[in-house]
Amino acid sequence: MGGLVKLLDTEMVRLAVGLVLALGFVVFNALILTWMERKVAGHMQLRIGPKEVGPFGLIQPLADATKLLGKEILIPKAVDKTLYYLAPILIFIPVIVAFVVIPFDSYLLVKDINVGIVVILAFSSFTVLSILLGGWGSNNKYALIGAIRSVAQNVAYEIPLLLALLSIVMMSGSLSLKTIVEAQKGLWYVFVQPVAFIIYFIASIAETNRTPFDLPEAESELVAGYHTEYSGMMFALFFLAEYTNMFIVSSIAVTFFLGGYNGPFFPGFIWFLAKVYFLVFVIMWFRWTYPRVRFDQLLNISWKALIPLAFLNLLVTGGLLKL
Amino acid sequence: MVNKTEEELKAAFSELTVVKEDYNQKGYHLSCDVAPKDIAAVAGFFDERRFYLAVELCVDYRDYLEIVYIFSLHMSLCKVKITVKIDPVKPVLPTISGIFASAYWYEREIREFYGVLFEGHPNLTYLFLHDGIDFYPLRKDRIPVTDNDKRELSSFSPEQSEDSLCINMGPQHPSTHGVLRVVLRMNGEYIEEAFPVLGYLHRMHEKMAENRTYPQFLPNTGRLDYIGAMSFNLGYVTALERLAGITVPERANYVRVIATELNRISSHIFWLGAYLADLGALSPFLYVFDDREQILDVLEGITGSRLTYCYFRFGGLYNDIDDAFIAGTKAVISRIRSRFPLYEKLVTGNVIFVNRTRGIGVIEKERARKNAVSGPVLRAAGIPTDMRKLEPYACYSEMNFEIPSGQRADALDIYNIRLREVETSLQIIEQALAKIPEGPFMTPKVPKKLKPRKGDIYHTVETPRGELGIYIVSDETDRPYRLKLRVPSFSNLMVFPELAKGNLIADAVAILGSLDLVIPEIDR
Repeated sequence: MGGLVKLLDTEMVRLAVGLVLALGFVVFNALILTWMERKVAGHMQLRIGPKEVGPFGLIQPLADATKLLGKEILIPKAVDKTLYYLAPILIFIPVIVAFVVIPFDSYLLVKDINVGIVVILAFSSFTVLSILLGGWGSNNKYALIGAIRSVAQNVAYEIPLLLALLSIVMMSGSLSLKTIVEAQKGLWYVFVQPVAFIIYFIASIAETNRTPFDLPEAESELVAGYHTEYSGMMFALFFLAEYTNMFIVSSIAVTFFLGGYNGPFFPGFIWFLAKVYFLVFVIMWFRWTYPRVRFDQLLNISWKALIPLAFLNLLVTGGLLKL
Repeated sequence: MVNKTEEELKAAFSELTVVKEDYNQKGYHLSCDVAPKDIAAVAGFFDERRFYLAVELCVDYRDYLEIVYIFSLHMSLCKVKITVKIDPVKPVLPTISGIFASAYWYEREIREFYGVLFEGHPNLTYLFLHDGIDFYPLRKDRIPVTDNDKRELSSFSPEQSEDSLCINMGPQHPSTHGVLRVVLRMNGEYIEEAFPVLGYLHRMHEKMAENRTYPQFLPNTGRLDYIGAMSFNLGYVTALERLAGITVPERANYVRVIATELNRISSHIFWLGAYLADLGALSPFLYVFDDREQILDVLEGITGSRLTYCYFRFGGLYNDIDDAFIAGTKAVISRIRSRFPLYEKLVTGNVIFVNRTRGIGVIEKERARKNAVSGPVLRAAGIPTDMRKLEPYACYSEMNFEIPSGQRADALDIYNIRLREVETSLQIIEQALAKIPEGPFMTPKVPKKLKPRKGDIYHTVETPRGELGIYIVSDETDRPYRLKLRVPSFSNLMVFPELAKGNLIADAVAILGSLDLVIPEIDR
């Protein structure tokens, strides 16, 4: 028995089990979020959303997934086959890696890497690459424009996102997510760094391509943007990645600004998930309330407002820390 | 204004015989027959005096083809019909599309329907009939289209360009609301040129009219503009009543106004939802549908249909209104009133919405006149012209209402005008409900086989989208000899290529949406 525990505690096994769990969680989370999105949208639009399949329509996402799996994958003639197949797979890799370092609880953590946030940010840059591959490989004008928009948008918003997180890193003196959460035992960083939180939150919505920044897939302009030519399960993979990305950016926000798994009475992971899903709800709330910004306005928000503000915030943080 | 125009016209063109017409019978004040060579000069005369070309059409009288131009003023009631008779065997005429931009599409339409060659027209190719047709459909005799003509007509295809990206927006596209196709020649995300391609919903209602009796064509009018069907019904019915001299009981007129205004409200709020969906906000769509549903219920109670109404009859109505209708209308009024503050809060004050719509799609007064735009789009340009006020039909003359007008002439102004027009319509309905008299709802003894007097009429009404003009030529039979519909969306779309040039694709969507196009109406 003791040997088994010891075996389980070795690095490789922990990593393997963690990745499998992460994979399971990704799918589970996407199911929950699709249900949640449809319910939120429904209630905001004077409807009730799905209700027929299962209690409160909870089984609806499973039915949707079954439908998507059963669909024929239509591949247009003129696509670049390699890139076309690669894109949905590639978009899926980074989202799983991120789960390795996110601390769900003080013990519910696959591996506490001392450069945890760098790992997440580095891998999340894959997303834009796969969108570009998908848009280019589809050989469709709408998809191409969507992909080009996505690149410009992600480049523009990664900077304020990084700068906002950097001010927290400066305060906590660590890149490890767990250390940052532990540092918020007393006071959450959102109260110390409200500006950084707002900048991060706006930039993260843009990074996940959600309304009002959903330009790469702007329905009324580009039909479906970069995934116009994808159908069936390949479309579902893009969809899955989008919802998982929502979870990841929200969990980074919770880890960095909202005290992570810290909270009274309940176990840590409940606090963590509650905070994350609250932020996800806010993102959905935005989507069903706001119109879409225009492309030049989108870039202006980042380059003219968020980036200078983030630099200023960083400067002030640095100055105050030195004092 | 009519006398002044008459004198000036006589002074400028001494050889012309200007006829003063009975406006109440004909719908225009002056008419004048012009030689083909003079038409450009005459058009220039009207252009100088700030007239707009409401419609250009052709009538085939077998011995000759008659091209009819209706010139009209925005702010005062003065309509002039200019006719040009041309040889039916070799129909050639100088173009006036250089003077009035609105002639550009009308002449293309006449070219493919009648085979008239407009000399100097930059692009005389198919407007509706892209698949080609072997004969000229609106000619009374079967005139075959020669191979040479066919080649010329199909010589233009907008996507032929080597070095720039061409995007086909439509015919199946989420934001063209139906089957409009716009070919966009792009430079990156910027539009270099936009070419609307029409005809995907072309059903040739004008030809249908020639093959049906007057009452038989009545349901067709509801199929043109399916969102504001009531206004089209009303336009056709009132035009015919004017032509045939049928009087309408007072009560019927009031009910007509109430029903039309209810339909106008439903059209405007439908636009509100659809426009915001274009801009990426999907929720308002469902809110306005909730409101619209209530209006449709009320209208369904009296008309029996929810969308393509056919409620009015020559000389009155299909049936009388009941207490449930009046109660329902009052409920609609209070509901819309209570909902509007919500929309104002959610949309009008939204910074993203304002930034998306302010300063784009600006239609200056001059551009509005040259392209003959009408309706809220025209009023946003600062020209408060409304046919309900300018030449009142039904009982609009007894109603007291304001016509909103804008200053900046951009999409945001158009939005504001539409919202204010909903309030105007509510006021009109309230007044009509208060004043509605008792009495019959139908004139007795309207002949089943309606044979109006010989002659023509140009009758206009204000639909939710703008000026609907109906030109009917009667030859004393029970079918129209020629029926031309001057539909507002057609003229409003004509201005789109100019507005889209140099803008982002996202702006093009916002501009296209602000024009409130209904495609079946454009394609007819």
